This record gives sequence, structure tokens and C-alpha cells, in this order.
Amino acid sequence: MPSDRPWRLDARVKLAGAVGFVLAVVLAPPGSWRYLGVLALALAAAVVASGVSIPRLLARWLGFLVLVGFLAALAAGRVAESSGLSWRLAALDLVLRNGLALMAMTAMAQVTPWTEMLWAMRRLGMPPALAATLGFMYRYLFVLHDELTRMTVARRARSFGRRGLGFGALASLIGVLLGRALDREERVFAAMTARGWDGVPRTLDD
Amino acid sequence: MADASALAVTSAVAPAVRLAGLVYDYPDGRRALDGVDLSIAAGESTALVGPNGAGKSTLLLHLNGLLPGRDGLFRRRPPSVWIDGLDASRHGAEVRRKVGLVFQDPDDQLFSTTVLEDVAFGPLNLGAAKAEARRLALECLERVGLADAADRPPRHLSFGERKRVCLAGVLACEPSVLVLDEPTANLDPRGRRRFLELIGSLPATKLIATHDLEMVLEICPRTVVLDAGKIVADGPSRAVLDDAALLEAHGLERPLSLLVGR
Repeated sequence: MPSDRPWRLDARVKLAGAVGFVLAVVLAPPGSWRYLGVLALALAAAVVASGVSIPRLLARWLGFLVLVGFLAALAAGRVAESSGLSWRLAALDLVLRNGLALMAMTAMAQVTPWTEMLWAMRRLGMPPALAATLGFMYRYLFVLHDELTRMTVARRARSFGRRGLGFGALASLIGVLLGRALDREERVFAAMTARGWDGVPRTLDD
Repeated sequence: MADASALAVTSAVAPAVRLAGLVYDYPDGRRALDGVDLSIAAGESTALVGPNGAGKSTLLLHLNGLLPGRDGLFRRRPPSVWIDGLDASRHGAEVRRKVGLVFQDPDDQLFSTTVLEDVAFGPLNLGAAKAEARRLALECLERVGLADAADRPPRHLSFGERKRVCLAGVLACEPSVLVLDEPTANLDPRGRRRFLELIGSLPATKLIATHDLEMVLEICPRTVVLDAGKIVADGPSRAVLDDAALLEAHGLERPLSLLVGR
């Protein structure tokens, strides 16, 4: 992990910088190639300076880029119509912008531990209830993922070599997972109430 | 204020935990608790044993005022749970301050992003200032031997460590009654031993729901057997757990140490 976050900048600076960068990219008119090029160079410099693991960053980014390409192909027609660019250039423009924005966010996420990110969000004025909800989501994502893994393993153990789950089994798996998540929510709420929860999120920072 | 001083007088003589005619139905209408009477003196360590589905966990939740004392939406049940003489259905917040509940699955109880935040959750909610809450949380982590895990996310801890963080989080609320649901379930022998020593070293009144009868012999002088929502036996642990007929009738088994010890 330490090689992943050598950049000891305040998380607020990183978060505000990344959001500002995204805005700068999004607000440029279509076809501002030179402007986007300068932003791309600036981002590349920041990424290199951050000392983030570049192969890992690229792997994550390329995963997102597939989705971006798909969406760009869907939306390029309308952008081409309104901007006067050719369809191909409009698609390239979309991929470039979204790619840059995603790169900025992915790099920021990779150099900022989640607890610091939450702290930065709270300090930058995110409503406490929303920050608390994000905290819960991140905490229980892993618990639910473990639960799902156990369920699929148990399912595979009884499927005797038949590949894939089939829609019926998949649907019931998702249903059971939802039911378990609701049960867990009840228990977590009981545990919170037991320790004095009254609906107001309180944290140690500030 | 007169009311408060009257409460203080009652709590001086009242048992730490008193249940009288406690009845509770699950939301689907099945009866979970069917007239439970139980009284636990301050400082006493009591085990609550019984088969799966006997109503143990449900009983524990009542001690914290976590289940509604109502039939359906409107009809109030007569009060049936008192903690230090306080009616749990009317003084929920104060009762929760007195009773510390350690749940069976640590993932239910550790919901914060870091261990320190989690242990400080109780004190912060009970009105402690941030600095005081931090100090208390660190002190409680120290007590369970996990001070160096303070800044880690809970999911990076082992099951036994998470269990101890849960205990620290409850101790940070400084409860006078400690209620534990299956404290030794799923722990490896070393984790179990460590957890037992911790529990044994705490001076609070304890009520422990468990299937671990060896643990009961070790740290609980008194045992209560619950089956089908009713208390079917209540007495010194050695006597209750040596009664083969009674145990068998209620889905339990005589602990090995009592079998070989004779």
C-alpha cells in the first residue's frame, strides 16, 4: 500500500484539484484540441509527480475507457449535429474529455485513502448525513461482497459441473442477498441505537 | 427533581436487571418470550443457555429497550424490564447508557470507517467532547490490547480482533451491565481464551447468552436455562449443568469437564 500513496498532500487539495480539473475539461467547447492537450499534459505531470503506480492506474482507467467508448459512440451523433464537427471528431472529443476526467478522478482515488477522502468531503462542506451514508456504503460493500462470494461458492458446490448460474438461480441469489442486506441493516441499526445513536452523525475530526 | 431523587433511592436497592412477566411476539405472530421473570444482582455473572430459537437474543435486545414494549401499533404492554430500577420502556436513553450490548457478529457492530472512530461512536453520542471521546476510545483499545490498530479499517482485522474492538466500543460507554450474545462463537481457541480473560476481568454485572458451557463453568457462577420463551431452570452453574436429564430435555449437553471431572 505505501507505494500507492506517497503524495502527502492534504486530501482537500487533492479532491478540490480533481473536481476543478473535471470542471475545466467539461466546460471547454467541443473541438478545443489545443486546450485539452494542455490539460492532458498538466494531468500527466501531476500523475507522474504523485508517484502513483502507473500500470495499476492505467489498468483501472482502461476498464472505464471501454464504457466511455460505448457511450461516446451513442452520443457522438448529437454532439456532431450541434457543434458542426464530423461524427468521428465528435466521438474523439467525447472520449478525450471523459478519459481525462476519469483519469483525474482515478489517480486521485489511488493516492487518497478512503478515510482521508471522507474527511476531506466533510471538511469541504458535504452534508454529514451524506458523508456518513458514503462511509456505511464503503464499509458494507466488502461485507456484502464476502457474503455473495460465500453464496456463489455454496451454489457452485451443488451445481455439479454445470457452468453458469442460469437466470432463475441468479435472480434468487440476488433476492437472497437483498434479504440478507436488509436483515443486516436491522442488526446494524440495533447496534447503533444500543450505543446512543440519535440520528445525528458525529465524528472525531473537526 | 423529586422524581429523580425517588429514582436514585429505588436504584440503590433495586437489582441490576429485573424482568417480570416479559412477553414478546415476533412480527409474524409466533411467541418469542412467554412470561420471563428474572432478577440479577449488581456484580453477578449469569449465563443464559438454551437451544437455538429459545429466545435468548430476543431477551437480550429487551434489556436495552431495543424492542418495542407494545402489542401491534398502539396497545402498550405493562412495563416488564427494569435496569437499576429504571423502567426500560420509559427511560430508553438512560437504560442504553447503563447496558452495554455486544452483538454476536462483529460486522454488525463495527460500522465506522476506522477502529478509533468506531470505539468513539458511543462516547460521542452520549455527549462526550471530541478530545474526551478520543482519549476514552484509545484507553479502551489499550484495555483490549488493540491500541496500535486504532487507525485501521475494521475489515483489515481478524475475527477475534474485531470482536475485541466491539467490546472496546461498548466499554467506552462505561456500562454498569454488560450483555454479551455468543461471545465465544467462531473464535479460535487462542482468541476465545483471550476474550474470556478480558470478560472475566471486567467488574460489571454480566449476562451472557451462549452455547459454550465450558465458558459458563469458568466465568459464570449462575446459569439460567431458557427454552421456548420460558425459563425452565435457574441456579448455580455446577448444579444446573450437571443435571443430565434437564439438559437433554432442552437440547443441551453436559459439559465435558463435568463428565471427566467425577
